Amino acid sequence: MTLAIQTQNLGKKYGNLQAISSLHLEIPEGQFFGLIGPNGSGKTTTIHILSTLIRPTTGTVLVAGHNVVDDPVAVRRKIGLVFQESALDRTLTVEENLQFSGALYGLDHRLIAERSRKLLDLFDLDGKRKAKVATLSGGMRRALDIARGVLHQPRILFLDEPTIGLDIINRRRIWRFMKQLRQELGMTILLTTHYLEEAESCDQVTFLRKGELIGQGRPDVLIRELGAFILEIESDEPEESIRLIQPQLGSPVQEGEKLFFRIPDATFSIGRLQDELQGHIQSFNVRKPDLNDVYIWKNSALEGGNTAC
Amino acid sequence: MRLIRQRGRLLSAMVRPLIWLLVIGSGFGTMMSQYGTDDYQQFLVPGLLCMVLLFGAMLSSLSLVYDKESGVMRMLIIAPFPHYWIILARTISATIAGLFQTILLIVILFALGFLRLPIDIPLFLLGLVVTSIVCASAGTLIAVFSKTLENFAVIMNFVIFPVFFLSGALYPLKNLPTFLKIVTLINPFSYGVDLLKHALLLDMPKSFSAEFSIFQDLLCMVSFCIVALIIACLRFSQATVMENLANLLSTPKHE
Repeated sequence: MTLAIQTQNLGKKYGNLQAISSLHLEIPEGQFFGLIGPNGSGKTTTIHILSTLIRPTTGTVLVAGHNVVDDPVAVRRKIGLVFQESALDRTLTVEENLQFSGALYGLDHRLIAERSRKLLDLFDLDGKRKAKVATLSGGMRRALDIARGVLHQPRILFLDEPTIGLDIINRRRIWRFMKQLRQELGMTILLTTHYLEEAESCDQVTFLRKGELIGQGRPDVLIRELGAFILEIESDEPEESIRLIQPQLGSPVQEGEKLFFRIPDATFSIGRLQDELQGHIQSFNVRKPDLNDVYIWKNSALEGGNTAC
Repeated sequence: MRLIRQRGRLLSAMVRPLIWLLVIGSGFGTMMSQYGTDDYQQFLVPGLLCMVLLFGAMLSSLSLVYDKESGVMRMLIIAPFPHYWIILARTISATIAGLFQTILLIVILFALGFLRLPIDIPLFLLGLVVTSIVCASAGTLIAVFSKTLENFAVIMNFVIFPVFFLSGALYPLKNLPTFLKIVTLINPFSYGVDLLKHALLLDMPKSFSAEFSIFQDLLCMVSFCIVALIIACLRFSQATVMENLANLLSTPKHE
């Protein structure tokens, strides 16, 4: 299995600020890889290093087989990058933008026209070919931006928060496009997001926290490992509830008046616990865990306490 | 090849300078006819052409500062060529923007009869091109070093106007006090004006004609361009500059 991206001991310092420390990533070719973490956790910095825009302070990075420090131009030829903000000329039309961008990769005029026709079809932008970018909606612009990012058929596509600032309908559309792209072109996609529910369709996710890797794996495996269910309790007297539940379910994660407990075993008797808690709680809710829970538990384990934020 | 594409994009931004040029051009035309001697009118022509080159090329290359935050810059920094190409391409397109405006002015001046033959045409064209490159590289150099264009007015006041006034464009350099004369000698733009004087003022009285040799003019300007562009490219490729740029381009703004 060839690796699309490989980093070893990757670190980046801005002055005194350690943005990323000793990051090891191995992303096989063709994978749909999610880089997850809150703002300031180093996601964008990582993407910038992988796409040769900034230099790592320590460590080695190989992207599509090329070293990002020694041969940035070769790396840039094989990758596509979609920024959080659009990389389009607002005064030009959809078609002109694609022509210009394609020309930057040395593509032939006719080849660009042919590929853009396909991409615009795929992204429902077919009727907007002659429209100025400034007149497009946010969702269309993002779709066009992604089309621009894959026009030169990169081996690896980087998407920095591809769905940020979009409403739910447009977010779903963008996800559908990404799925179609993967089917049609089979490229490796690395994306960052903080909408964790979206990342569940990734092949592999990595959690970043303050520039450090705090967990990695397949989303479904990570969720299964966390537990069968999550018990959510709202209580005026959290201390009392914790005292009652802790012996059975272990330490909770606390968010204000809410307590989260992991239920590791699907056969656990929830009814009995509910009876014991009578009178201590306002609400009692048992649900399936998701990636958010995975992140919260990983985070709280590191903070050493029982609070997560 | 890629440079050509980029220049194409800039053509669209040229309608504005054209209007500007018509105003300036006609304004200066009347101003010139108010001055008494015919000789002085002729003396002003090279300076005037250089002024349009200066404004056209320098403002165009200074707009790189605006472009730092634009979508196009995002496209450019991830495109598969070294980042200093962006600088060189911008300089070339600014040079052409300056030349384009100047050619329009030449047409107007010629039509109004201010441009008197004989003209040393090859030298004239060479002078225009080299001077335009000088102005464009000076603008690029400033643009690469300045973070925002909030100080744009400052640049206008402290760079463009002194460069213009202390260049021999409006009056011969000989009569200047020593201190100012030193400044004009440092000013690469002076040599451009001087070169055009060589080309245009062939039958002028001694007091109004060119003051340096052609070789001197070319040497000074070419070396200035090379040095300015090398500094600009090095600076632009520097890690910290790229970091700032990358961060700037990735930070979402509310439009």
